[in-house]
Amino acid sequence: MQRDYHDLWGGAVLAATGAAVALYCLGNYDFGSLRQMGPGFFPVVLGVILTLLGVLIALPAWFRAGKAAPFAALDALAVLAAIAVFAFGLGRLGLILSTAGATLIASLAAPRPGWLWRVVLTVVVTALTWLIFKQGLQMTVPLWPGI
Amino acid sequence: MAGWDGLISGFAVALDPSVLIYCVLGVVLGTVIGVLPGIGAMAAISLLLPITFYISPEAALVMLGGVYYGAQYGGAVASILLRLPGTPQSAVTTLDGYPMAQQGRAGVALFASMVASFAGSLIGIVALVWLSGWLAGAATKFGAADYAAMMVLGLVAASTIGSKRPAKAFAMVILGLILGCVGTDVNSGVARLTFGRAELFDGINLVALAMGLFGVAEVIGNIRTAERNGVPERVRLRQLIPTRQDLRRMRLPVLRGGALGCFFGALPGTGSTISSFLSYAAERRVARDPSRFGQGAIEGVAGPEAANNAAAITAFVPTLTLGIPGDPIMALMLGALVIHGIQPGPMMLEAHPGMFWGLVVSFGIGNLLLLILNLPLIGIWVSLLRIPFRWLYPAIIVFVCLGVYSVRGSTFDIAAVAVIGAAGYLLALARFNPALLLLGFVLGPLIETNLRRAMLISRGDPMVFLERPISAVFVVATVLLILTSLLGVWRRARSAAPAAEASDRTG
Repeated sequence: MQRDYHDLWGGAVLAATGAAVALYCLGNYDFGSLRQMGPGFFPVVLGVILTLLGVLIALPAWFRAGKAAPFAALDALAVLAAIAVFAFGLGRLGLILSTAGATLIASLAAPRPGWLWRVVLTVVVTALTWLIFKQGLQMTVPLWPGI
Repeated sequence: MAGWDGLISGFAVALDPSVLIYCVLGVVLGTVIGVLPGIGAMAAISLLLPITFYISPEAALVMLGGVYYGAQYGGAVASILLRLPGTPQSAVTTLDGYPMAQQGRAGVALFASMVASFAGSLIGIVALVWLSGWLAGAATKFGAADYAAMMVLGLVAASTIGSKRPAKAFAMVILGLILGCVGTDVNSGVARLTFGRAELFDGINLVALAMGLFGVAEVIGNIRTAERNGVPERVRLRQLIPTRQDLRRMRLPVLRGGALGCFFGALPGTGSTISSFLSYAAERRVARDPSRFGQGAIEGVAGPEAANNAAAITAFVPTLTLGIPGDPIMALMLGALVIHGIQPGPMMLEAHPGMFWGLVVSFGIGNLLLLILNLPLIGIWVSLLRIPFRWLYPAIIVFVCLGVYSVRGSTFDIAAVAVIGAAGYLLALARFNPALLLLGFVLGPLIETNLRRAMLISRGDPMVFLERPISAVFVVATVLLILTSLLGVWRRARSAAPAAEASDRTG
């Protein structure tokens, strides 16, 4: 039988997250009392509830059939890599290079093959970004790699 | 009369050129976003949040509101022409709108959705004025326990009403509440769950969270699916003209849908998507010939469209008068207001009357603009549907990054968007609702503050929640909601068990 792995994994991860939050906050922050709640009170209670809910989600999923949704791993990778390149490039490479790099990498996920349209898109988006954010909104950010 | 003076002062604010420009910008952007499948109002509003830091709070709220109800107009276009809802609120519109389009009546369906949306908004505006005054008066009697109980009710309602798996929905709310704990604790000054990162002392950035969960996760999920849509036919102005029978059939559904939308929009936790579904169900129930539904019944377009627009307006009632957002979009608006140093709540009508009444008047102006702009411009909106998603999404990604960066010039926040986006995509893949996470995130600190205050006042006696009549009502309603949803799950499990066994045997 194909089990409902989405709920199984989702529930398990949530339960683990809840338990980790509850234990970490119990160990590091003052729990206080009902009358005078400490900084640990709210997160510990929430962590416990999340653990219970996670178990509640994961348990029935073990006995239930489910269909796996297609996981677009490459799409996710391209988009996230584009953001990462932008985050690390903005201060070092400047606005123009990091925008162009991010656009090109993000466009790799598109199902249409070919390089010409990707290059055109990269040029257009980079020009638009420069126009809107640098010229229009006067954003203070380096344009090119540090001089 | 206060209402009349208020409206006049509202016109002064809403007709101020700088506010008017942002109203136009908001409704046009909202329509575009609504038309384009693959980006919802949530993503659009998160994208625009950074801009609102540079303009006055009035203009910001007017613009974001315009995006919200403008998207409802645009969402119907893709629903009717391609059976691809531009926004979740317009999913119902595909049921009868698309069959109408196949019968060559796409123009009439578009006309019906726009006129019904306009009428629904007007009904919503009247309700907004009436309800706000009443609620703001009542809210001054609220204590900390009452606020905490009401917010808990809102979160429980949001995760149980209309949800097939309440446990999954509620888990998202709790996860949001936990993320809301990150940052410096107001009472003790302790830095919670920051792991020593100074960037997290003020908590997780709302803009980064919203953009990661909605902008990035939605883009990843739509790269393949949004590309697959067909190309819509051209719609000419003349095709928009409805017959006399169409008009007669629209009238009552619009009124009923508007009323339903007003009610559910103002309730905490429900909102415009549920209103449009309920309106559709109601129309099918009162129809003389229910079999017409699903085959292109104009009632099935007009009712839900009126309902979701009315709900989009009245959703502002709890947000502005109680400071409690009923849905995640309102949570973002609340966030925008708080960043401007305005705490919505019972005092807002008195402290910022210009803002409140300006917003009310701008709703009227914005909806009128949408009606007179959209009917003649329908051809442009239809041609927007021809832009392939692959041309749009890389630009969206870059704008998301720059938008987050512009808030406080931090590349840490851009990296946070990548992490949150990855988590958001996985959550959406496993069919967890990230919108509820955001609602929990915004309400978390408010609930905690009120809970701690209430327990301090009552000297640690939790009975305070049942002794105060207002909070007792909310507690009882919360318990009832949980019980009914448990009952629903139990019933479904019992009726599904034989079916699952059968499918096991065959498969």
